[in-house]
Amino acid sequence: MTPTAFVATALLMGAFVLAGGGYGSLYSVGRLQGRPRLIRMGAVCLVVALGFAAAIVVATPLAVGWKILIGVSAAGYAAIPPLVWRYLEQLHSGGRAMR
Amino acid sequence: MYRSQRLSLRYYTAAITLFGVMILFGLLSALYYVFPSMLFEVLNFSTSKILHIDTLVIWLLMAFLGAVYWYLPQELEHEVVGIRLAEATFWVFCAVVAVVAVVFLVVQIGDSTAFTLWFINQGRKYVEAPRWASIGVVVVMGVFAYNVVATCVKARRMTGVTWVLVLDLIPLLAVYMDAFPADENMSRDLYWWWWLVHMWVESTWEVLIGCIMAMVLMDVMGTSRRIVETWLYIEVMLVLGAGILGLGHHYFWIGTPEYWLSIGGFFSALEPLPLLGMVVHAVYDAGEHRLRTVNRPAFFWITTEAFLNFIGAGVWGFMMTLPQINLFSHGTQWTVSHGHFAFYGAYVCGVIAVFYVAKQKTSGVACLDDRFWKWGYGLLNIGMVGMVMGLLLAGITQAFYGRAIGGSTLMAFTQVSENPWFLSGIWARLLFGIVFAAGYVALVYDLLRKPRSNAVGAGEIAGAAT
Repeated sequence: MTPTAFVATALLMGAFVLAGGGYGSLYSVGRLQGRPRLIRMGAVCLVVALGFAAAIVVATPLAVGWKILIGVSAAGYAAIPPLVWRYLEQLHSGGRAMR
Repeated sequence: MYRSQRLSLRYYTAAITLFGVMILFGLLSALYYVFPSMLFEVLNFSTSKILHIDTLVIWLLMAFLGAVYWYLPQELEHEVVGIRLAEATFWVFCAVVAVVAVVFLVVQIGDSTAFTLWFINQGRKYVEAPRWASIGVVVVMGVFAYNVVATCVKARRMTGVTWVLVLDLIPLLAVYMDAFPADENMSRDLYWWWWLVHMWVESTWEVLIGCIMAMVLMDVMGTSRRIVETWLYIEVMLVLGAGILGLGHHYFWIGTPEYWLSIGGFFSALEPLPLLGMVVHAVYDAGEHRLRTVNRPAFFWITTEAFLNFIGAGVWGFMMTLPQINLFSHGTQWTVSHGHFAFYGAYVCGVIAVFYVAKQKTSGVACLDDRFWKWGYGLLNIGMVGMVMGLLLAGITQAFYGRAIGGSTLMAFTQVSENPWFLSGIWARLLFGIVFAAGYVALVYDLLRKPRSNAVGAGEIAGAAT
């Protein structure tokens, strides 16, 4: 790994997770406030995160196994916010029903 | 108020004081980077750094003990069994910390003898306290564990939170035994030392703060026990599933077998995913209560914890967790940046929330929401973000020029120490460290001042509390 590739890979990985977090945050706030615009901005963050993941897979000198892990993680970042949100809604509605 | 809650106020006072000591020596350590010959032959850098890091561990531990002593009787509706013993060990704890600090400052170093190990410095990073003091910490933790278990037995009541707490006491006590070095082989010694630094601080503490946060959420936001306990069980599963093997990223370059590169990299790379779930949960909870709460500072600190934990542990950790990256980044200011952000996000924010809970209960106000708390909140957060950005810049410069280009030679290290990017980062860390210190002063002032009654409607408070 060249020095430049090392720094580029590290920064791409950080940016990937940060964009994934941006998606999760904007998606949640958008759902919370019923604002589709925020959800769309969240979707843009997700596309950016997937773009960073694609860049890591295509342009960095990481071994194949690590690139597969990045791909699987990208799927995780896409799936977790809506799944957790749905689970929370079920959990809280169950709690309200019990009360 | 229960007697153990009065004890917890003492623990909080000691914790906040040590928080200040930690910041003081953090600033001093930051100054050494800018003025390397400062205090030459008076106080060396390593002693200042030891005091910075060790007080971090101790003030958080004291705050945790205080928080458990605060909530345990409330949770079990029974005074803590062995409260006198707990009160006595509090003073023992304070005396041990004070004596060790004086020895570190006055004696600083000793010869390579058993005497030094027992009475001056154990020579183990993060647990440098001499062996007699480490035994003292074991005694304090033993009494704490006994008090928790005995109170549960005496009260004949166990909740989901107390079950998790009791089970967490086993590794909390057992893993701390790694504080005592017993192996002359450095690789083997480091192998077990990481159990202390990673398992004790990052796993058992994670569960402990999870239990504390569960009780705070029920208290401050009126979240139902069922929801809180469900999430606590999920957290424990995640700690057992990914957190323990995530330890592997510490085993990369200490002489352990090569398979740790794969195990550590794989499980560490998964660690940000549950943190993302926590961010979603924090947003959901904030919305569920429409930001109405009986304790706004505590509420904001809890919410901030979820976000900064994700960024500090998740983003910062992910950047450097794969072995190919970590080969260059480990041991640089980059790691320091990650360490600062992760500790602050995972623990400090939560502990400050607990302080505000105590402030509200002791002052007797129905709803805590002065304006002044925002100064502490803002300055501490800005200071921390500024510090970690400065450290990140300095760390990337070290890893790029000193490691990747320079080949980790002493010459490369020296050259990087004069690199303008590195110096900019180090100066930024110092300046934002001063901002952080100002935030600490504002926090302490706000915690000590008498709260004003506010204009939040009773209906809103009731809404938040149900």
